Amino acid sequence: MSVSPIGRETARVDGPLKVTGRAPYAADYHPDGLVHGHLVLATVGRGTLRAMDVTRAEAAPGVIAVYTPFQPVRLINTFQGFGAENYVPLQDTTVRFRGQIIGLVVAGTFEQARDAAALITADYAGTPPRTSLADAGPGRSQDIVQVLAPGVASIDDVLRAGPVTITTTVTQPAQHHVAMEPHATTATWEDDQLTVYSGAQMPQRSAPAIAAGLGIDPAKVRLICRYTGGGFGGRSPAWNEAKLCAAAARALGRPLKVVLSREQVFTTVGHRPAVRQTVRLAAQADGRLLALAHDSDAEYPAAGGWPLIPAQHTSGVLYRTPNLRLDQRLVTLDTPSTWAMRAPGEAPGSFALETALDELAARTGVDPVELRLRNYATQHPVEGRPFSSKHLDQCYRLGATRFGWDRRPARPRSRTDGDWLIGMGMSTAAYPTDREAATVRVRFHDNGRVSVASGTSDLGTGAWTVLAVAGADTLGLPVEVIVPELGDSALPPGGVGAVGSAVTANTMPAVRAAGRAAIGTLLRAAVENPRSPFHGLDPADVSYRQGRLHSGRRSMGFDELLRAIGTPALDAIGATDPAQDSPYAFHSFGAHFCEVRVHRLTAEIRVNRFTSVFDVGTVINARTARSQFIGGIIWGIGHALLEADPIEPDGRYAAATMADYLVPVNADIPDIDVHWLGYPDPHISESGARGLGELGTVASAAAVGNAVYNATGIRVHDLPITLDKLL
Amino acid sequence: MREFRFERPGTVADAVRRPAPGTAFLAGGTTLVDLMKLEVMTPARVLDINRLPLRGIDQTRDGLRIGALERMRDVAAHDLVRRRYPMLAQALEASASGQLRNMASIGGNLLQRTRCGYFRDVSVPCNKRAPGSGCPAIEGENRMHAVLGASDACVATHPSDLAVALVALDATVRLRSRAGTRDVALRDFHLLPGTTPEREHDLRPGELVTDVIVPDLGWASRSVYVKIRDRQSYEFALASAAVAVRRDGDTIAEARVAVGGMGTRPWRLPAVEAALAGRPAAEASYTAAAEHATDGVRPLRHNAFKPALMRRTLVRALLELERIR
Ligand SMILES: Cc1cc2nc3c(=O)[nH]c(=O)nc-3n(C[C@H](O)[C@H](O)[C@H](O)COP(=O)(O)OP(=O)(O)OC[C@H]3O[C@@H](n4cnc5c(N)ncnc54)[C@H](O)[C@@H]3O)c2cc1C
Ligand code: SF4
Repeated sequence: MSVSPIGRETARVDGPLKVTGRAPYAADYHPDGLVHGHLVLATVGRGTLRAMDVTRAEAAPGVIAVYTPFQPVRLINTFQGFGAENYVPLQDTTVRFRGQIIGLVVAGTFEQARDAAALITADYAGTPPRTSLADAGPGRSQDIVQVLAPGVASIDDVLRAGPVTITTTVTQPAQHHVAMEPHATTATWEDDQLTVYSGAQMPQRSAPAIAAGLGIDPAKVRLICRYTGGGFGGRSPAWNEAKLCAAAARALGRPLKVVLSREQVFTTVGHRPAVRQTVRLAAQADGRLLALAHDSDAEYPAAGGWPLIPAQHTSGVLYRTPNLRLDQRLVTLDTPSTWAMRAPGEAPGSFALETALDELAARTGVDPVELRLRNYATQHPVEGRPFSSKHLDQCYRLGATRFGWDRRPARPRSRTDGDWLIGMGMSTAAYPTDREAATVRVRFHDNGRVSVASGTSDLGTGAWTVLAVAGADTLGLPVEVIVPELGDSALPPGGVGAVGSAVTANTMPAVRAAGRAAIGTLLRAAVENPRSPFHGLDPADVSYRQGRLHSGRRSMGFDELLRAIGTPALDAIGATDPAQDSPYAFHSFGAHFCEVRVHRLTAEIRVNRFTSVFDVGTVINARTARSQFIGGIIWGIGHALLEADPIEPDGRYAAATMADYLVPVNADIPDIDVHWLGYPDPHISESGARGLGELGTVASAAAVGNAVYNATGIRVHDLPITLDKLL
Repeated sequence: MREFRFERPGTVADAVRRPAPGTAFLAGGTTLVDLMKLEVMTPARVLDINRLPLRGIDQTRDGLRIGALERMRDVAAHDLVRRRYPMLAQALEASASGQLRNMASIGGNLLQRTRCGYFRDVSVPCNKRAPGSGCPAIEGENRMHAVLGASDACVATHPSDLAVALVALDATVRLRSRAGTRDVALRDFHLLPGTTPEREHDLRPGELVTDVIVPDLGWASRSVYVKIRDRQSYEFALASAAVAVRRDGDTIAEARVAVGGMGTRPWRLPAVEAALAGRPAAEASYTAAAEHATDGVRPLRHNAFKPALMRRTLVRALLELERIR
C-alpha cells in the first residue's frame, strides 16, 4: 500500500539539482556561437535624447554591435491598456524615467560588452521629472467601492459622528523584488524558430508576448524556464530586456545573452509602487465598527505599470461593517515601471488597516484579538457571499495560546527585560483565491515512470514537488516514480500562471482529471490491444490500482503492459475550469503574533518571536508550505523594519544596490512558529486546497509595527520603522 | 572594469620600487575589485601584494604587531587580541560578513573607501571620486553620512569599524616606501576632507602599509565595541563606540573613547574621556560625559538623529563595560 503523500513532508524533488549547481537557470545556457549583450540605461529622469556618442564603444575590443534609438533594432509596441511597460525600447528618443533602456552593446564576452557600454555618452534635453509621491496631490480614482447602511447619505457623516473615530495615514517608499537570480535572457534562433531561456512566472504568456514584440507567429517562440530563481511578481510579464535580446539575436543571426547587473534590475524591471494610505474608522465604544474607509494614493508610472489596489482584498474583506468605502487612486510619476510584488495590494493594504485596528484597540481599551472577534465577518462585506471555509476565529484563539498573548501588557511601554523594552502585537492576514482553468498531461512510460506535465513555472515555491505529490496521490504511486515537467511554453497549453498563489489550488484538480483520463487510456489499451493479456475483456472488468491493472487473478504493472503491447508511452490531458459564479467567496486567512524588543537607549528593534496560524484549506506539501509561510513572514519583517528605496528629485533611486537596499539577514530572524488548521475547503475543488504562497506576507508587517507600539508607546506611520524614528 | 596591468611582486622592495601613478595594491580585493567593477576605481596597474611577507600577529617592544595582510577573521580569532584588546575582536566580528572577513586584510580594511552611494555611482557627481564635480550627498540622501569633520566638499563617513577601535587604542601604522620606513599615528593617518576629499590618508604614492602596531594598554582587556545598525549583521554602523575604562574602585580613573558612523574619519573623543575621568562609574556620569561627544556636530537633513544616537551609544557601551568582570 502506498500512503498518499498529501499533506506530508515531501522534500523538494528539484532540491538535489539545485544544491549541486546542476539546475540550469536562464544565464546557464551556452548555445554555440553565443555573444553577450549589456544594457545602457538613461541617467536623466525625463526628457529627450539629442545624441549618443557610441564611437568609442564601437571601437572597443570585441564589440559586434551597438543598438540605440539612433541605430535601433526593430521592436513592436503591443501595449493594450494593461500590462507592464507601455513602450518598447530604442524605438524613440523619449526618456520616461531614469534607468530606462537606451542602448544595447553586443560583444564577444560579457566583460567586453559591459566595458564598452561604459564608454557610451548621451546628450539629453531634460525636463524635471515628477518623482515625489509626497508632493503630489490625490491621484485619479480607480474603482470606488462603497457600501452604505440604509439612510446613510455619505460615509463621512458616520466617520465624523463616532462615538470613537480613528484616522491613520501610513506611507511606504518603493520596494523591490530583488529575486536571487538577476533577470537574464538567452535567445537563440534556428531559421524562424526562436527559443528563449528566461525566468518567467507565466511561460505560456511570456512566449506570445515576446512573439508579438517581434511581430512573429506565437507558435514560433518557445520559452524555457525550468528553473527560475525567484519571481515574487517580478517575472510575471516579459520585460523589454527579454524582447530586446530576442530582437538583437535575430538581427545578428547569432545566439545572444543579456544578463542584467544587480543595479540594473532595480530599474529595468518593475518594483512595488510607493503608496500613501489613509484608513478612517468609526466605532462604538466597545469597538464594534460603524464605518471603515480606506483611501490610497499609489505611484503609477507614466511609462506603464501595475495599478496598486491595496484596500480591495484587505479592508474590502476582513471586517463586518455597515458602512464601507474604498477609494484607490493612482498618481502619475516619471518612475520606472511598477509591478505586482508578493501580495501586491494585500501587503501594503493590510499594514494600513491592521495599524488602524490596533489604534482602535488602544483607544477603546479592547484587546486587539477580542476587537477582531467582535468585528468578525462571516460573509464578504462587499459581495455579500459567505466565505467558502473560514476558521479565522480558531486562528486567533490557537495563535494566542501558542504565543502566550495573555502575557501582553495592555499598557504600552510597561514591560522590560534588562535594557530592552518588550512589546507584543498581532494582526490578521487574508488573501483571495483565484479560481482558474488548468490543463495537465499525465503520461505512463514503459520504464515505470509517470510524467506529470504542466505549463506552469516553479520560482522556488515548490511546484515541481506539488506536481509529483499530486501525481503520486492520484495514481497511488510513490513520489519518486513521478517525473514532473514544467517551465516550458511548449508543454500542453493551459498551465496556471505562477501568480496570485494560484498554482497549487488550480493545478491539483487538473492533475486528478488528467490522471483519471490517463488511467482510462491505459485501460482502453489493455482491452483493445491484441498483445495485451487483458485483450477482449469487458473494460468494466479491468481496474487500475496503485500502478497495476487487475482483472480477476490477472494483474500486471502499467509498465509491463506498455512493454507487452509495444507502446513506449500512453497519455491523456485533463482540464478543469471552475465555475466563476460560485455562491461562495474564496479567501485564505491567518493570524500573526509578534514579540519585539527595543533597546531603551539606542532603539534597535529586534524581533524576538513570531507565531502565525493559517487557514488555507488542504495543505499539499507540509515542507514547502511551511517555507512559504516563513518566507512570507520574513518579508513582512523586512517590510516593517528595513525595505526602502527613496527616490531623488532627479529620478534616481538612492538605494538601488544590494548593499543599500536592506532585506533581513539570518541574524534578524528568530524562530518562527508556523501552524495551520487543516480544514479542507469543501467548495473550492475536490482537493480542498486554496492558495498560500503570499498569505504569510500579508499583515505580518503590521504585527511587527503593533508590537513596536506596544513596546515603546510610539506609533510609526512611515515605513520602514527604523530606530531613528524611536529615539 | 577597465583594462589594467597585473603584477605579483615577491618582495616588499619590489612592490615599492616604482611608485607609478595609477597603481593600486591588491590585498583581499573586497574593496578594490568591487570598486573596479563599478569603475569608481580605475587603476592602470594592480600589484597583488599577497605574496609579500606582511603577516604575523606578535608581541614586540612597541606593542602588538599585526601584519597588514593578516585576514580580519584571523585577527579576530587571535588569542592575544581577544584577551588583551577585546574591542578589536568585537569590532572585527561586527564587520561585513564571514565570507568577507575571510578575504579582507587589516591593511585593506583601514584603506577601504566610503560607502557613500553617490561615490559608488559613476552616473552622478562626487568630489571624492571626481574632484570639483560637486557633492550630491549634502542635499541628497544623507542618513548614513557624517556629522563630525565634514566640509562643504564632502560629508562621507569613514566606514571601518576596526579603525575606530584602533584609534581608541592609539595604534600606529607602519609604512614602507622607496624612501624607507615610517610610523604614523592612526589618528593622523586618515585626513579630514576639507577641500580635497579625494585625499583620504597620509599615504604617499606607492607607499605600503606593512604593519599595525597597538601599544600595550593593560586595562584595555576590559573594553567593548558596540555597533548600532539597521540590521543585526552585514551592515555598516549608524553609530558605534569603542570604549575602555580603567577603574579605581568605583571611580573611573582613565578612559579611551572613539566613535564610528559619525565622522569623516575614525573619531576619538578626548573631551568625553576627560569628562569621565574622576567620575563614579555610573549611568549618570556616562550620560553627562556623553554630552561632550557632540560638540561641533553638523547634522544634515536625514541624519539629525545621529548626535542623540551617538550619545546613547556611548552610554550603552559604558554600561556594557560595567557588566564585564
Ligand atoms: C558588503 C560589504 C560589507 C562590509 N561591511 C563592513 C563593515 O561592516 N565594517 C567594516 O569595517 N568594513 C566592512 N566592509 C569593508 C571591508 O572590511 C573591506 O572591504 C576590507 O577590509 C578591505 O580589505 P581588503 O584586503 O579586501 O582590501 P583591498 O580591496 O584589497 O584593498 C582596499 C584598498 O586598500 C589598498 N591596500 C590594501 N592593502 C594595502 C596595503 N597593505 N598597503 C597599502 N594599500 C593597501 C588597496 O589598494 C585598495 O585601495 C564591507 C565590505 C563589503 C563589500
Ligand atoms: S559625501 Fe563625499 S563621497 Fe559622498 S558624494 Fe559627497 S563628495 Fe562624494
